[in-house]
Amino acid sequence: MIFSFYTLKEIAKELFSNKVNLFFMLLALIISLTALNTIYSLGASAKKQILDALANVQFGKDAMLIIAGGGRIIGLTTTRRDTLKLEDVEELERLDFVKLASPMSRETLEVSYKDVAEKMRVEGVFPNFTLANNWYPILGRFVNEKDLRIFAKVCVIGADIPQKFNVPASELIGKKIKINKEFFEIVGVLEPKASFGHYRRDERILLPFTTAQRRVFNKDYIDGVKLLFKEGTDIKFAENKIREILRKRHKLSGPDPDDFRLITPELAISIFTKTVKTINFFLLVIGVISLIISGVIIMNLMYANIEEKAPIIALRIALGATPQNILTHYLIMSLIIALISGIIGWILSMILMQIISLFTPLKPLFSWVTFLISFGFAAATSIIFSLLPAIRATKIEPSLLLKSL
Amino acid sequence: MVKDLVILKNITKAYQTGKVIYPVLNGIDLEVKEGDFLAIMGASGSGKSTLLNIIGLLDKPDSGEYFFDGQEVSKLNKKESAYIRNRKIGFVFQAFHLVPWATALENVLLPLLYKDEEITNEDKEKALELLKRLGLEKRINAKPSELSGGEQQRVAIARALINNPRLLLADEPTGNLDSQTTQEVMSIFKELNEKGLTVIIVTHDPEVAKFAKRIKLIKDGVFIKQ
Repeated sequence: MIFSFYTLKEIAKELFSNKVNLFFMLLALIISLTALNTIYSLGASAKKQILDALANVQFGKDAMLIIAGGGRIIGLTTTRRDTLKLEDVEELERLDFVKLASPMSRETLEVSYKDVAEKMRVEGVFPNFTLANNWYPILGRFVNEKDLRIFAKVCVIGADIPQKFNVPASELIGKKIKINKEFFEIVGVLEPKASFGHYRRDERILLPFTTAQRRVFNKDYIDGVKLLFKEGTDIKFAENKIREILRKRHKLSGPDPDDFRLITPELAISIFTKTVKTINFFLLVIGVISLIISGVIIMNLMYANIEEKAPIIALRIALGATPQNILTHYLIMSLIIALISGIIGWILSMILMQIISLFTPLKPLFSWVTFLISFGFAAATSIIFSLLPAIRATKIEPSLLLKSL
Repeated sequence: MVKDLVILKNITKAYQTGKVIYPVLNGIDLEVKEGDFLAIMGASGSGKSTLLNIIGLLDKPDSGEYFFDGQEVSKLNKKESAYIRNRKIGFVFQAFHLVPWATALENVLLPLLYKDEEITNEDKEKALELLKRLGLEKRINAKPSELSGGEQQRVAIARALINNPRLLLADEPTGNLDSQTTQEVMSIFKELNEKGLTVIIVTHDPEVAKFAKRIKLIKDGVFIKQ
């Protein structure tokens, strides 16, 4: 059979001759494809969101975060967490692959301005915080060397803080806020950054490191260090080297667990995407099940179609159609079903993602690869489940059917 | 000398339902020469349609030999018999059997879809010419549901002729038509035969059989001597 315009027209006409049947065949496949596309798109979008956000805070591939205290990455520390010191950082800074090290300490303290008071994250930072985190003030200035030297009682506030105090950001510069009974002059407001989940990045107050340690936190250890490596640094090697130095400095031997945590970008991504992955896995299972269900629906409707069209199939055989012609005929028909539902499913999933993006930070993603994969799924489901009915069609005996009519 | 187009030798056929075997054809011998117009008559259940199915390669005999156009065809596989049906045999059925969603023209072109050749403009011209010859030039884009019984049967005849068959087989072609239309359709068969086409029709109507050059009567699966 030459695959011609006439053949295609004939197949399409047969397909559209029973619109109810066609509608349900399409519906079944469209629903599962929409679900699958949306699930995939959500996952991809979430991952992209996280990658973008990480890159945005200078947590690209050449970065590492050291957090005081050992244990699981997320959760309570299981060791002392007062062992990470500024001296450790000084030694790490001497490593030839380290470009920049920015230590910090933090506490959650009550912060108040006029009659508004709230518990907030307060950090002691160095001027290189801006470089280390690609995070700069949008108004005013950042903490400088002089502030560190003189233990200046100044602070830089996160972008969401003015809103908390119900004052426009520009009016807050030069004003004083109270942290732990001490007053600090606001000298700058940070630019806004994307947040992950419940962690509000823009709700923080930064103090000069020395001021924070001496006047507010009253401690001699630090809570973390952000490290930037020189380009092309082997992260694995760097991680091992850093672990070795810190363990030695903290006098940890063989079985002792690390009293610090090293967070690499890869690890960060896997933490952030873990939840998404778990949800995605279940949704994917549901998606595949729905695909199978739609396959079975297609199979049944295809059987019904072939049963209904049996006299015409018999006629085709009488007019010279070979079993292969009949098989091709119904497989092309199932491909048309796949094509239509593939396109509609894709469009619907894009609309669905658009709606989801109104309520979440996830943006719809278009990718040709997923578009084609979705067609692949549609075509595979449709063809596999149409195969048996199509084979049955080839077995129709023209003599018996023609006589019966 | 006129060539034999169809030669059947001692053809038998039986159908089985459960454990019961119903013999339908009990040793049929038949010769049909090119240009012949044969009417096979018999009561219902006499085996005439089964015989026509075997002649048209829609069914296989249980035993016996069948030569079509000089070739033994009783043991061909589905693909081989489909090839012969497509190129050498035209069928006209009692119930017309037109594809309901296709226009008259598309119905006529249908056998060409299975010919392994692209449908050309000449094919289309030929189909239009056939429809015109059968008086359907104004109905080419009509669907079967918009056509009268006689018109539908004429479309079916045009379809049977599109591939220039050697043999035209008609199973009760006027069974669903009124007497006037019956006359019209049978005149078409007669005219086609006069132009050289070999025609075999199966009927139980003597009025229809009268159009044929010769008549054979079948009873209980054998031809009876006249």
